[in-house]
Amino acid sequence: MIQLEAITKSYQRKLVLDDVSLQLAEGQIYGLLGPNGAGKTTLIRILNQMIIPDAGQVYFQNKPMQAQHLQHIGYLPEERGLYKNMSVAEQLLFLARIRGLSKIDAQQNVQKWLVHFDIESWQNKRISTLSKGMAQKVQFIAALVHEPSLLILDEPLSGFDPMNVELIMNEIKSLKAKGCTILLSTHNMKSVDEICDAATLLHEGKVLAQDSIWNLRNQSAQAEIEVRFKGHMLAFANALWTDFELVQQTELQEGYFDCLLRIRGERTVNDLMRSLQDQVAVERIEKRLPSMQEVFIDLISKKQTSHD
Amino acid sequence: MTKFWLITLRECKERLQQRGFWWMLILGPVVVLLLLWLLLFAADQGKEKVKVLIADPGQIMGHVVMAQQEKYVEYYFLDAYLEIEEFKKAKAYQDFDVLLELNEKVLNNKKCFVFYRDQLSLDTRMQLKFEVERRLEEILAQQFSRLSMQAFRSIKQGLIFDFRDLADPKNESKDTSSWVGFGFGAFLLLFVGIYGMTIFRATVKEKSNRIVEVLLASVKPQELMLGKIAGVAIVALLQLIGWILVLSLGFWILKQYVVIDFLDPAYWQDANSMRSNPLSKFIFEELRIGFVLLHFLLFFLASFFFYGAIFSVLGSRSSADSDGQQFLIPLLLVIIMGLVAGVFYILYPAAALSKVLSYLPFTSPVIALIQLAQGPSLAVYMQLVLSWVLLVILSFALLWLAGRWYKKTILKF
Repeated sequence: MIQLEAITKSYQRKLVLDDVSLQLAEGQIYGLLGPNGAGKTTLIRILNQMIIPDAGQVYFQNKPMQAQHLQHIGYLPEERGLYKNMSVAEQLLFLARIRGLSKIDAQQNVQKWLVHFDIESWQNKRISTLSKGMAQKVQFIAALVHEPSLLILDEPLSGFDPMNVELIMNEIKSLKAKGCTILLSTHNMKSVDEICDAATLLHEGKVLAQDSIWNLRNQSAQAEIEVRFKGHMLAFANALWTDFELVQQTELQEGYFDCLLRIRGERTVNDLMRSLQDQVAVERIEKRLPSMQEVFIDLISKKQTSHD
Repeated sequence: MTKFWLITLRECKERLQQRGFWWMLILGPVVVLLLLWLLLFAADQGKEKVKVLIADPGQIMGHVVMAQQEKYVEYYFLDAYLEIEEFKKAKAYQDFDVLLELNEKVLNNKKCFVFYRDQLSLDTRMQLKFEVERRLEEILAQQFSRLSMQAFRSIKQGLIFDFRDLADPKNESKDTSSWVGFGFGAFLLLFVGIYGMTIFRATVKEKSNRIVEVLLASVKPQELMLGKIAGVAIVALLQLIGWILVLSLGFWILKQYVVIDFLDPAYWQDANSMRSNPLSKFIFEELRIGFVLLHFLLFFLASFFFYGAIFSVLGSRSSADSDGQQFLIPLLLVIIMGLVAGVFYILYPAAALSKVLSYLPFTSPVIALIQLAQGPSLAVYMQLVLSWVLLVILSFALLWLAGRWYKKTILKF
């Protein structure tokens, strides 16, 4: 769907993006992650052709991206704004037309989305009279009123109450089901865990990690193993040797334990099972993948430690 | 419809929906009319006696002036030519306030010159003109016509009184037409200044509420900037047209009802007296109003885009209204400089600096409107066309440059 090749951008000699490449497949929800100042917004602005990269190329549907492709892109920026004196319908109509829809199509789409979000009664209200949450909803509609094939959402959940977070999450899933490709830039890692198919983690303008969400979580050194066994704790600890680190232990009742282990080196769950089979009676063993939050913190911390 | 027009129309609609626009449309001209009425009222107050010396070498008037009820003007006669310098400096004439010069050809060319030491009130001018004109009519009627006085007055041609300041007998600085042109220029700069500020504020607002990020994902920064300037320009034009209409209506009402005292023909018992107001005579008879308005419109649009580009860039550099104040003050001073240049041109039209100022884009619109009101010669008109072309070229260049700056700065929060 969209491909970025070796994008580099500097502002006043400060390198903001350094040789960043990524590829979004059609119908995918792609997470763009990174701490503040990592270069996410610059990358998004390059995708929206607001900024021209110093080097690199953006491809849209395998063709070098041009201005006419912008009408197929919807964008919800992190810093949002609407014209306060305009009514909801006027605002949406204006933004739909700016995105290239004809007047009739724009009117039809505005009505459709207002009905879809059950907010037809707001259409004549001025933006200045809406609450922050209501305005956020209007902004979300504004990003997809022209039915784009690529939707770029920068922190789409910020400012919403839990009910509306659920609503927006479901809407994003529903858009994906309809074939819309979504680039999601967020600090809300729970949403990344829940809806993203793949992600790129940016740090100081460079790609720190890039893979499917499953691989990112699975490959993380943060992977832990939960074990429930019957036997002696001492025998269990001896069996771990130096290959696994005992992080936590809980005695459920006499002779029954729940333990949390961290893998060292290249060891696997099978290695652990082999070590334990003659020492204790294993009742349950499960590899617990780290959340994206943990993966994120782990990767960034490691990077910062290596800097130090 | 192009994105440019969508932005332009949105800007227009937003401004037209604001109450301030409609208040300004009514209140602005009303305040102008009120000030004008106050000026007329003040000019009519504190009448003092004025001594008029009529230099009448041909003794046309025969030392006689129409009798009058209120003697605010006293007449004295001199049966010889009198040089202006002599009247100005000689001790014998220091008691006289006004010198009315009647040469022997006055009955044919219908023109006489009136030199005054201090500015005369409109009322005094009217009285002087009325009384001298009536006397000359009598003489004309007796000498050249067998018609009765009443029949003669119905077909007669009015006498032209050219009032001039003794300090400026060639009337270089106090020419009514120049000041009317200056008024048009001031009007132009006033609207450019007010609506330039609107462009500045609208840009800052879009930037500070961050909608600019959504807009720039669909339109080019230059397109956004141009659309905004064009939208505000249309609103400014509508406001301007509204002002012209309301002011015209106001002038008509003033003439008909408010200042009827001295404008009403019945008051002076002379149907032609109303035309003798030099300002109204100039506006309604000598000034080609359509011609000036057309050029006013051309210069207004060119200078609006010129200044609009600057205001846009300043807006794009500021995150809040207060940020831009430091840049706005020098810009407003430049606009005021346009007015100063206009005064300079009226006072010293032949100076080399006047020539330069008439081409500078900051000052050329005011000077051009002065020249247009004066009734330009072909050479002056060609120079005026050149200054407009220069202004348009510079406006385009500035818009192009401003577009680049705007693009660089608008996304810096």
